[in-house]
Parts: sequence; C-alpha cells; structure tokens
Amino acid sequence: MKQSQMVVVAVAVVAILAVSAAAAFVLTNEEPKKLRMATTTSTQDSGLLDYILPTFESKYNCKVDVIAVGSGQALEMGKRGDVDVLMVHSPAAEQIFVDGGHGTNRTQIMYNWFVIVGPDNDPAGTRNATSAKDAFQRIYDNGTAGHAKFVSRSDGSGTYAKELSIWSSIGYNNTTVAAFSNDWYKQPGRGMGEVLDMCEDMNAYTLSDDATYYSRVDVALIPHLNITKQGDSALKNQYSVILVNSTTWHHINKTLAKDFLDWISSNAGQDLIKSYVKYGHQLFTPNAPGYASATAITGFVDIGRFEDVTAGTSGVPDAKLMAKDMRAVAPRGEAMDGA
Amino acid sequence: MALEVSYDVIQVTLLSLYVSGCATILGSAIGIPLGALIGLKEFGGKGLLKTITYTMYGFPPVVSGLAIYYLFSRAGPLGSFGILFTPTAMILAETLLVIPLTTGITIASVAEVDRSVKETVKSLGTTPRQSVLTVMREAWVGLVMAAMIGFGRCIAEVGAAYMVGGNIKGETRVLTTVIMLETRQGHFDYALGLGLVLIVVAMAVFFFLRLLQEKELL
Repeated sequence: MKQSQMVVVAVAVVAILAVSAAAAFVLTNEEPKKLRMATTTSTQDSGLLDYILPTFESKYNCKVDVIAVGSGQALEMGKRGDVDVLMVHSPAAEQIFVDGGHGTNRTQIMYNWFVIVGPDNDPAGTRNATSAKDAFQRIYDNGTAGHAKFVSRSDGSGTYAKELSIWSSIGYNNTTVAAFSNDWYKQPGRGMGEVLDMCEDMNAYTLSDDATYYSRVDVALIPHLNITKQGDSALKNQYSVILVNSTTWHHINKTLAKDFLDWISSNAGQDLIKSYVKYGHQLFTPNAPGYASATAITGFVDIGRFEDVTAGTSGVPDAKLMAKDMRAVAPRGEAMDGA
Repeated sequence: MALEVSYDVIQVTLLSLYVSGCATILGSAIGIPLGALIGLKEFGGKGLLKTITYTMYGFPPVVSGLAIYYLFSRAGPLGSFGILFTPTAMILAETLLVIPLTTGITIASVAEVDRSVKETVKSLGTTPRQSVLTVMREAWVGLVMAAMIGFGRCIAEVGAAYMVGGNIKGETRVLTTVIMLETRQGHFDYALGLGLVLIVVAMAVFFFLRLLQEKELL
C-alpha cells in the first residue's frame, strides 16, 4: 500500500468519524442545565418518566439525564456522588443511605403495588391465601414438597428487597432464602420482565410490580400467568426521592435537584403522576406529604410498615381500576393481614 | 401493541459508530505499536508476555466497564474529570477491550512475516527504524484485521457501554443498550428490528473496509 493511499484512507476514516460525532452532537439537544437522576428500571420501563419529565424540563429549561438501574445500584451511584438525585423504592436501604449521611430530604412521592403472580392452576393455592405472608408460606410449603416453583429476582432491586422482607416476616432470613433449594426456588438475577417470562415457561410464581406485569400482559408474552394475590398492605411499593449530599459532593446540581423534588411533590407534579394511565391502569398513586389526594396516606414515619388506609374503601380510584382487570382474581381489600 | 419510539434511532446509530470508531482508533494506536514491539524485539519473558496478551482476548467487557466506572466515579481517583456517563467514558472502557486484540493480532501478524524478508531487510543494511516499517508493511493485512476485529467487538458490546454510559436518552444511548432497554420492556419485535439495524451497520462497515482492501486501498 502506497503512502498516498494510506493518507486517503486515513482521511476517509477521520471524516466518517467526524461526521458521526458532529451529527451525534447536533442531534443531542444540549441544554444549559442538567439534572442527573438515578432511578429504578420500573419508573423508566413503565413509561412514567417519559410522561412526566418533559413538563419539568420545559418549566425549568433543563434536561434530566435518567440512568435506570436497580435500586441498589442507584443508591451506590448516589453514595459515590455520580448523580444529583435519586428516585428509588427500597425503604430499608434508603434509610441506611440517609442515616449514613449520603443524602437528604428523603421524601415519599408515590406508590404502586407489588402483586404475587402465578400459573393458571395455582398449585400452591395462593388465591385462597389470607395475606401476602400466607401466600408466601403456601408457596414455600408446596415448593419444598415439589408442587410449586418460585422465580426470584435475586438482584439488587427494590422488588427483591420486598421479597426478602416478606420471607423474613415468616421466619426465613436472607441467608436461609439464598440457600433455598434450586429445585423449586430459582435465583436468576435478572430484570422483572425477564423473570416474568421465566415464570411463564416454568409455571412458576414470582413477586412483581404491577406495572411490569401489566406491560408484559399487554404484549401477550405471559398468557398463563395471573395475579393470584394483591392488595395486601405488605405489598405496597413506596417510591421516594432523595437528594444526594451536596456537602460531600460540591459538583452536585443541588438547586435543580431541589427544584425537582419541590416540583414532583407539588400538586402539579402529583396530579401529573396520577393522570398517567397505561395498559388501562393508573400505574402510580401520588402520595407526597401534603398532597390533597383522594387516598389520604398516613405520614412517612415508620419506614416499611405503611398502613393501608385504602383497605375496604370502595371509593378509592385505583381500587376501581384494579377491579377492572379480569385477571385479578383476588380483589383488593380482601383479606388484609394488617401488617 | 403500542411501540413508542422515544429516541432518535439515527442518533443512536451514529453514536454507536462514533464510540466504536474512536475506541478502535485509540486501541489500534496503542495496541499496534505495542504488538510490533513485543513481536519484533527479543527480550526475556517475551513468551510470558505473549501468553498474557492472548489470554486478555477474553477480557470480560463488564469488568472493563466496572474498572472505568471505579476510576471515573466521583468517589474514584479520576472523579474530578466528571466524564462518567458520557461517550468519552464509553470510549475509554471499550478501548481497554480493543488493546489486547490489536496487540495480540499484531504480534501474530508480525511473526508471520517471512523470516527471509526480515533477513533481507537486515542484510540490506537498513536502519532499525526502516526495517521495522518494512516488516509492518508486509504485515499490513493482519494489522487492518486487528483493527476490524476490535471494531467488531466494540460495536457489539453492551455491558461496559451500559455501565459507564448509563443509557441516557440522547446522550449515551447506543444500539446495544437500547436493544437491552426494549427487550426489558418486552418489545421483542422492536428490539429485533434494532438488532437488524445493528447487524446492517456492522456489516456495512466491514463490507466497506473489505472493499478498500480488495481495491488495495487498504
């Protein structure tokens, strides 16, 4: 190869790269202010963020960079100062995070529901369970007897944290759960949608957030999975916003982070969350302190033990929406364990 | 079924090309001279070094991503640069993956250059620098191959890209990470469509380079 040819090729390669780079940057709308938010995959995958963030972005003339990972990873990013703000759903871990001085202004903003999902024939009889705890006990008993299977997220997600807290409430601590037999308890360490797909294949149970379950139903990927237990207060999935410690990390955009927190807790932000309907369901119920909602939620005092004041109230909007779901065999409000 | 395209596919594709291209160039700029040095120079421990390089072919992308994450995280030693979750961080992580490939393939290509060529070059009394250039020219096809394989690894890579890029819409979202996102949401057919785009783009790049080679432009 001649040197002149080499030059031609080199120029061509550099030109292609330069054009891609220029195009990529031109197409990237560079905004003056940026807010970096680590959140869980559920808020992104449900489409909620794409629905609410543009309003905030145009109001404050900024761009929100969303990094969607598991709750555990999101908290770790906050701890290391890699993001400005967190939107997560792992109450116990959040408490440790705040207690450790890694973040401030932890504020509850909304909740959705976890559901216990299982195969058509419900071999563990979870439809008749009196509570989430009872359903888990039935799955355990039938699982160890070889009649049922359970697929666990077994990752750093808030969903897995919730699953562990339910196992723990019936006497199986984290170590015991991790040592459950592979014969019935699968620990793939995968995302929620993938775990639901596995349950479909394996006729297994799992604990899922309802949004991911509905989205999977919507694309007809899990025809044989049903919600077999829902509505227990132990299955409530509380999301909170936490500001990353701006004293430790000076580069943090604390003004915009605080703006975001104030906005999402305001009536405007809360109403917007409430108006998000997908797959025929209102997926998230706003419950920021002071928000005048149909569902008055008690204060954010005792993390992890929320009182479900919606139990037995027929006029609750999301209860109505849930009842519409033909697959929901156990209506909400039935058989509360009151935990 | 509602499939919403909430990002620009063209932009995602261009960013894929940009990140992979830069990583390939950087990785070649480091790996090829390094490989030539190891391949042409005689020194103690050369065999061991070669073995280590070849072993690094299997360097897991996710580990490269984690290493870059730790280095450039605000709490990490190079945190003050603030490049985490930018294309630059992705380029660095993928460069780490390319270097062993370009180094190793260069070692092999240089070794394959006929011994007689090397002898002739030496006997002609050329300076060491000239002889190195002559051998490199003989090994040229192998060197181009090294860069191409490096590019192939980058454009197909997802673990490191996701970890240090963060899959931020409009900024660090590349084809592989967006395929992961769509799959996670259960949009299998849309993800498959994007997979097709990825395959076409990757093949087009290789086809173009192959064409250049056949026309002896490369």
